[in-house]
Amino acid sequence: MGHPYSFEEIPGVTWIPVPEPFISVDASRCTGCGDCVRVCLGDVFRLRNEKAEVASLDRCMECAACLFICEAGAIHFSWPARGSGYRSEWG
Amino acid sequence: MMAGAEYDVIVVGAGFGGPVAARECAQAGLSTLLLERASTPGQKVISSCTIPFYGFLFGPEWIRNGEPPIERPISGIRNIFIRDGKTYRVDNSFRVPAPLGPRIAIGYTVYCRPFCTWLAERAVEAGAELRTSTAAVDVIKEGGAVRGVITDGGEELRCRILIDAEGVQNLVATRAGIRKPYRPEVIELCLLYDFEMGKEDIDRVCGYNLEYFWAMPEEGMIAPLGRGSAVYIFPYRESIHMTIGQFLKADDGEVLNVKLLDRYYEKFFQTDRWRDLYEPRVKLRARIWDTCPIYAGLYPDQRNMPTFGEGILLLGDAAGLEAAAIADGVPTAWFSAQIAAQTAIESLRAGDTSASFLSRYDRRLREHPLITALISDPHRRDLAQAAKSGDEAEMRRRVNRGWGIRLMGHLAPPVMRAVYREIRRDARVVKSWLDMFNRYWRLYA
Repeated sequence: MGHPYSFEEIPGVTWIPVPEPFISVDASRCTGCGDCVRVCLGDVFRLRNEKAEVASLDRCMECAACLFICEAGAIHFSWPARGSGYRSEWG
Repeated sequence: MMAGAEYDVIVVGAGFGGPVAARECAQAGLSTLLLERASTPGQKVISSCTIPFYGFLFGPEWIRNGEPPIERPISGIRNIFIRDGKTYRVDNSFRVPAPLGPRIAIGYTVYCRPFCTWLAERAVEAGAELRTSTAAVDVIKEGGAVRGVITDGGEELRCRILIDAEGVQNLVATRAGIRKPYRPEVIELCLLYDFEMGKEDIDRVCGYNLEYFWAMPEEGMIAPLGRGSAVYIFPYRESIHMTIGQFLKADDGEVLNVKLLDRYYEKFFQTDRWRDLYEPRVKLRARIWDTCPIYAGLYPDQRNMPTFGEGILLLGDAAGLEAAAIADGVPTAWFSAQIAAQTAIESLRAGDTSASFLSRYDRRLREHPLITALISDPHRRDLAQAAKSGDEAEMRRRVNRGWGIRLMGHLAPPVMRAVYREIRRDARVVKSWLDMFNRYWRLYA
């Protein structure tokens, strides 16, 4: 596991770097609608060539809004491994 | 795959529900494993959390008789109406009158990390094994029956009954083929702010009240009514929690932009009440977000998804048991955890983990005096209609019915049924309720 990190604009949260990606987009199913981009507060997704892709999991709070919104079933969502990902004392 | 240990019961998730089920199974002598994906229970649980009194009164005795880490008793709801950025009406109608309140509380605010940690410790105390930093990423199925989970480390952990307390994301139940993910129309994304604030300032500004702020959509201060929540302020011991939520998708099919949440906050921070009373006294400490199911119980297709299967029981948010009434799912998580544990114990004693045996779980959930009333209360939905009407008097009437004194009209009957049921079992319970209010007050003060 790497060093914990945080962001000034998201106080009160620490992230432990994830050993491997836990969200991915199945390009063959993605319709490029952009809904995952619209519902993500952590700026995880971006659209490129009319397909969504994971830009960065650095700010992901594992809320799964992307999973709920994707009508095409293109989002594969699992959990970050071995206790990595975000943590907060203030939930 | 690595073959791991075998247990009578595996509970997935050490949030609010999982540890309750784990403790009650372990106490009955079942070998019980409690799995938690965070390194510390509650570190990945986000909620603006006021646990209503009925969770404590009718939930697990050991919580009621224990010393859980509560933040502050709450004895009233203050509905505050905003127009043109100014407070024009404060309705204090829903509160426990002095001298009973705040010692007799309608709920207690808590932070999830210490509270879930406390619950998980009680499960371990009873003999459950707690494994943190371990996520269940898939299920083991044999002949259609769930027989365990596969962890993020690739380990196979087998069990006779799996209790799924995973929460709203429902990965386990989806992989097990029991449920479909929640529809985005019943999922709210909540953006929370946590501010430090001195106790004396909180006493002066909030007292022991939750503050709910209401405004017509044109204020741009909250998600248009019916598309999200009000602005809520929850007073804690030396801090306040604020939350604004918005549905992922409106009933008319529009996908809502979450960046609006920040804009609602900006607008709210310009209101007179925030500027004059809060702003000079607070210091921002955290900005966090999560999804939660709201109104799922109002949609038949969501409410009627299974809560059990061959070898598996689902509880709390994972079973669709959110509470639309007071925006808090903890009591239903506790009630369903107790019923799940009781059903698992019976099933293992009978040597029958079939879906037909476990169907009694679902029947008991439906027979419970409070669960269905809490998940299918339509009054919060009313606000969508109020917004469409554009009539402030109508909005105030509906707020009063959902969060004001008229809340008693639809909350009192199921609560009274639960009171009656408990007293009939053992009249001494009344003393334990009064003891609880007094002990919690001492813990706080």
